[in-house]
Amino acid sequence: MSAETALEIREISKEFELSGGRKLVAVEGAGFTVERNSICVLLGPSGCGKSTILRMIAGLETPSGGEIVIGGRRVEGPGRDRGMVFQAYTSFDWLTVRKNVEFGMQINGVPAAERRERAERFINLVGLGKFAEAYPSQLSGGMRQRVAIARTLANDPEVLLMDEPFGALDAETRWLMQELMIEVAEKTNTTMVIVTHDLEEAIFLADKIVFLSSHPGRVKEVIVPEFKQGARIADKERAVKLDGYSDLEAHLMRLMREEGRGKE
Amino acid sequence: MSARPTPFLQLRKPVSRRQKLLSALAIWVLFFGIWIVASASGLVNPLLVPAPQQVFATTFDLFFSRGFGSDVLISISRVLIAFALASAVAVPLGVMMGSFPAIEAFFAPFVSAWRYLPAPSFIPILLMWFGTGEAPKLALLFLGVIFFLITLIMDHTKNVREELVETALTLGAPRHKVVARVIFPAVLPDIVTAMRQMLAMTWTYLVIAEIVASTTGIGAMMMRARRFLNTDEILSGIVVIGVLGLLFDLTFSALHRWAFPYLRKA
Repeated sequence: MSAETALEIREISKEFELSGGRKLVAVEGAGFTVERNSICVLLGPSGCGKSTILRMIAGLETPSGGEIVIGGRRVEGPGRDRGMVFQAYTSFDWLTVRKNVEFGMQINGVPAAERRERAERFINLVGLGKFAEAYPSQLSGGMRQRVAIARTLANDPEVLLMDEPFGALDAETRWLMQELMIEVAEKTNTTMVIVTHDLEEAIFLADKIVFLSSHPGRVKEVIVPEFKQGARIADKERAVKLDGYSDLEAHLMRLMREEGRGKE
Repeated sequence: MSARPTPFLQLRKPVSRRQKLLSALAIWVLFFGIWIVASASGLVNPLLVPAPQQVFATTFDLFFSRGFGSDVLISISRVLIAFALASAVAVPLGVMMGSFPAIEAFFAPFVSAWRYLPAPSFIPILLMWFGTGEAPKLALLFLGVIFFLITLIMDHTKNVREELVETALTLGAPRHKVVARVIFPAVLPDIVTAMRQMLAMTWTYLVIAEIVASTTGIGAMMMRARRFLNTDEILSGIVVIGVLGLLFDLTFSALHRWAFPYLRKA
């Protein structure tokens, strides 16, 4: 993996104004970098501000302090260079799967022929080839998330942001989706930032884990899962059996527990 | 062990299609049955409550020998014109108010205030402003529905899920495209439903307008009939209005099904 930086989060903070003039510091001086073509996982207990950080990267929230830099440019708002997949289903119900996937490209003026070709490619990549003409209401939850992933990737973002994308899915579907993400990352060389509170998911997906402490959110530890020896493992069952997997899991559990105690 | 008989009233258990149909038929048979018996037995004054068969005969007569059709057409056109005008203003305004809080902050205080003014209270001044032609009737119908329609559409628009808007933004959509390509199509089925509800209300104002200040239309016919104690004609008017309302409602519901096939579950 090259060490070229795709995304730089420089000491960002976020304060929310509460009713009654009080302030809630959700994120305080969080900083880390995301290397090009890598998968960076933001992990932490609830209340650690991981989703807030992701939303700031997406440009959906403005940092109260610090800055986010992507490809040398400062983030000033949402843009197609940072596509986002949400936990809630976001398929446009009035459009077929194909039209959903073409949506971003159409908005951005990609010519029809190229649009169609790219949509085809990404629909096949996420395994929805047979459902291109179906409406989202005819699809299962996992398939809808596949549509959202294909739609975002087809729009050719520099970074794919995912906010607990598989949180609403059942366990079995979640594993399949995690394996799909590894496959997608390998085939498309997409830089990803994924927010989760699921340890297993973090270990399986991450090239780098940014562990956040809670109240306020700070970077507690940056962990590279060394047991993968710099390669991704496409098979979840195999990953779990590798030496070092359970050590890392135990370490993350300890971090989680420390943070949990801090809250009480 | 003998099976326990199933009670007729079962909590929240859906009834069969057949039972539904029979029940629907039964309530109407009962209604007309009581009506027929009441008027045939002399229980009620036939001058005030004519028998149903007489009402239907009169309805037939009104349409085919007394030119009632043109009154009905006038009434329908008033409803449609006023409702089209109201929708032409309410749909874009409601969607904009629901999309941009700054636009809501400007219009909402005005719109909500008007909602609490009963439209019929404007009849005297509308008659003075517009005379006795079509204008005051259309104005009343317009005033009667527009503020409700705006508010309904605004509320539905605000209910479009934030994630859909944010998805469009992170796909690179500028604001106007988020409104036109995501918020509007997302809220459209609810807009059609809101229009369906408000169309029923337009009929209410139509009858008020025609009863108070008109010489044409269904309402005017009913008021003329009152002068000559023709209760059968009054009841005919009510029946025709009811049937028209039902037809419009069915049309809208068919439109809804036809326009939004994706809402049907597989």
